[in-house]
Amino acid sequence: MAFAIEFFLRRISQGLVIVLLVAFVIFTLLRIVPGDPMRIILGPMASQTTLEETAKELGLRDPMLIQFGRFVGEVATGDLGRSYIRGVQGGSTGGSQDADGFDPESRASVAGLIANALPYSLMLAGLGIAFALLVAVPIGIAAGLNAGRWPDKIGLYTSSLFVSLPNIWVGVVLIFLLSAKTGWLPAIGYRGFEYTIIPAIVLAVELSPVMIRAISVSVAQNLGETFYSVGLVRGISRRDMIGKHVLRNAAVPLMNLFGAQMIGMLLGGLFVVEYIFSYPGIGMLTINAVFQRDFPIIQAVAILASAALVIINMLVDFASTLIDRRLKF
Amino acid sequence: MMGQPALETAAETSPVMKVENLSVGVTGRAGIKPILADISFEVAPQSVLGIIGESGSGKTVLSRALVNWISPPLTITGGAVHYGGRDLLKLPQREVNALRGRELAYIGANPTSALDPTIPVGHQILEKLKAVSPGMDEATARERVIDTLDAVRIPSSKQRFDEYPFQFSGGMMQRALIVDALVSDPKLLIADNITQPLDVTVAAQILRLLRDLQQDFDTSIVFISSALGIVADIADDVLVLENGSIVEHQPVSALLRAPEHDYTRELIAKVPRIWQGAETPPAPSTGDIVLEVTDVARTYKVRDRNRLFAHKLVRAVRGVSFEVRKGENFGIIGESGCGKSTLSRLLSCLEAPDAGHIRFEGTDIATLKGKPLLELRRRFQLLLQDPYNAIAAHMSIGRTIAEPLLIHGLASGRALREKVEAAMSEVGLSTELYDQLPVGLSAGQRQRVNIARALVLEPELLILDETLSSLDQVEQAKLLELFEAIQKRRGITYIYISHDLAMVRRVCARIAVMYLGRVVELSDNEPMFAEAAHPYTRALLSAVPTVEDKPYATSDYLLEGEPPDPIDIPAGCSFRTRCPFAFDRCKTEDPRLGADDGAGHAAACHLAIGEMPKPHANTAGGPDER
Ligand code: SF4
Repeated sequence: MAFAIEFFLRRISQGLVIVLLVAFVIFTLLRIVPGDPMRIILGPMASQTTLEETAKELGLRDPMLIQFGRFVGEVATGDLGRSYIRGVQGGSTGGSQDADGFDPESRASVAGLIANALPYSLMLAGLGIAFALLVAVPIGIAAGLNAGRWPDKIGLYTSSLFVSLPNIWVGVVLIFLLSAKTGWLPAIGYRGFEYTIIPAIVLAVELSPVMIRAISVSVAQNLGETFYSVGLVRGISRRDMIGKHVLRNAAVPLMNLFGAQMIGMLLGGLFVVEYIFSYPGIGMLTINAVFQRDFPIIQAVAILASAALVIINMLVDFASTLIDRRLKF
Repeated sequence: MMGQPALETAAETSPVMKVENLSVGVTGRAGIKPILADISFEVAPQSVLGIIGESGSGKTVLSRALVNWISPPLTITGGAVHYGGRDLLKLPQREVNALRGRELAYIGANPTSALDPTIPVGHQILEKLKAVSPGMDEATARERVIDTLDAVRIPSSKQRFDEYPFQFSGGMMQRALIVDALVSDPKLLIADNITQPLDVTVAAQILRLLRDLQQDFDTSIVFISSALGIVADIADDVLVLENGSIVEHQPVSALLRAPEHDYTRELIAKVPRIWQGAETPPAPSTGDIVLEVTDVARTYKVRDRNRLFAHKLVRAVRGVSFEVRKGENFGIIGESGCGKSTLSRLLSCLEAPDAGHIRFEGTDIATLKGKPLLELRRRFQLLLQDPYNAIAAHMSIGRTIAEPLLIHGLASGRALREKVEAAMSEVGLSTELYDQLPVGLSAGQRQRVNIARALVLEPELLILDETLSSLDQVEQAKLLELFEAIQKRRGITYIYISHDLAMVRRVCARIAVMYLGRVVELSDNEPMFAEAAHPYTRALLSAVPTVEDKPYATSDYLLEGEPPDPIDIPAGCSFRTRCPFAFDRCKTEDPRLGADDGAGHAAACHLAIGEMPKPHANTAGGPDER
């Protein structure tokens, strides 16, 4: 038990440092890119004096470190700031109104925007991973168990095929086939769960090749371990050796791959897929924010993404040390 | 639960297994190349059949064929393995599986990788027991596993049941696998080279254990090994395997006394001798002291899984002192975990000691930095055991050997090539290999490349850390001669770090024996073997597999258990948990390596030599020591 507490205490404190660093980098970058955020907030019509006054009021003329400190303090209380552009009602307001001042209360809170979008993204990501696992686990295991024979080839061909398909193209084709042509599933926007299915398939096509490769390599490698062949001679059946030992051992590298690689791919995939399908998740929110230079949203999403990465890696590592006690914790 | 006296029936005397004209080949591009030819023998009930052969003789293939574990590219090309009236080789896989693990058990040479690393050892044995005896309920099975763990003397078996393979030492793991094999009361146990990876004292324990268990469990054993000394210790009958054929089959005592085949005679002659007819070791040098080690200690920190933010201290080396004189061969021996590899890293400046000093020609190496340190590193070279990983596969042999010269900026152009070629011919590598890649070099040749690479720097001190351990006897002997020749020519000093007593006996003038991070005995060669002063040294010597009479009887000195964990070293004498002579004083007072007795012999023990049993007279008798 002690090791679990120590593990989490240490990893959480390390994680906080990482997230803080990421936050700092993003925060600074967004403040040194060209373009005065005041122009974005107040629009081209605002006068220079209003601009300066509002900037001072918002603290945007303070030294960077002070701004960052203030920001961290706010984040700690759960306040991620307010959008520059989006109104409380949801529409974009930037650039036209408020020419004579800026009332932060009239803009949507970033935390609220994210809280609205997050469930959609989680649902999409969860379904995408589930689809990918559904395809990759059987193919990967079959390929790993039959290295060099036809299931292995199938695994190889499927993954190379999937890798070579750009997800935009997959999305378009699926919309055409499943939605436009047959009318089986809706595709664009979101009005119910069924809107998640096609985007999730696109996501799965992107994720599964890596999974297939990883599973088959890891299973094949464990089949080559001495304990497998010795197990058979010890009198344990092939089925039990695979089911109870090979798969268990194969899970460790897989989980690490998941933490290290898949999460990054998943985040990237979400952005593109949500954009293609106008799916109202975090990806969509962020891409719009990028186009509109809505910095508070961008920085909040970036920080959350790094926190998610840190947390998932922590959980994955913990699970790995539970399976394989040799690993350093 | 075991060893109920069975009624004598006809079946009791007919052989357990009968192998007839067994031939195995390996399929290659040029058809099938034979590996085993026409092997025939019988295994009598309750007997131990030893099979001896050198590497490449086909003994592992034979041991696997006995449990029908032959997979491509190997194929069985003829013959039969009769067991229980049926030919195992012709049985359907399903029935073979039903026999394996239940009536036929197999233990291999690699205990540490034989079980799933992620599941506790006991649980895996339980899994096997339940797999081979359907219908046995969990509680009975568990109890039986724990009983058997006790039977092989695994301490605190209940706790060990839940520990993972990596928490077992090699010897404990081999015991666990013996449990795994015996738990289902097999009729026949095939033991393929099972003592090979173990330290001598542990191997001796395992042998004795196997002999006891064989009686308790009523099992026949086929014991395969490449060490004649070990087979001689356990087997009733011995088969000698040469190049895939049986050349001799005799009871063990007859085999040792009157070998019939030339090959057997050769094998017997190759077993290194420690006492009778041992080559005279070199005399200790009287030259200047080159290396002076005083009270060196090294402790590592490892994280403690059971306590918050706590570390355990692994005390790998605990106050070691000795001196090495110029032109001398100094030996450091000990078993795994005794701290010799840490000491080797300290001596070769790969790590700095936490305490104490290592002085090379009077300069403390810890005080050196930058250029002088680099210069010192040149004069001291370390040669490791593994001749494979040390050589880059993509670099030509000449370039590999030239590397250190380039690093130290000592030569270039023509001079460089000349130096490298000179070193190559000195170690017996053809200079034609200069531009070739190392692929296809044998282990011995690779080790020569390593030696040449060390020699180009003209070192004064060479540390040989198990350098010759992975080589066979013949190659080892050739390299030892090479080292000797180089020493004569260049006056180099060698430190041999090894677990191989016979080798140290042959080449080292002075020897330090290490146990739990300490030198427990420091002596000139001759007195160390004739009248060892520390009980541990005697235990080591009693356990060496040889074919000669040993002055130290196994029954007096054989150790129980394993060295304590260097994390909790017992108070008092650190050897007392295993010492057959421990008495009250040993519990409280830590014996230090005494001053030299004048004859260059010191031991860290409260007992005087006279208080231990006298070494047996060393009269040259028959080689049968049983
Ligand atoms: S000091 Fe005591 S325990 Fe230690 S080796 Fe000597 S007799 Fe044995």
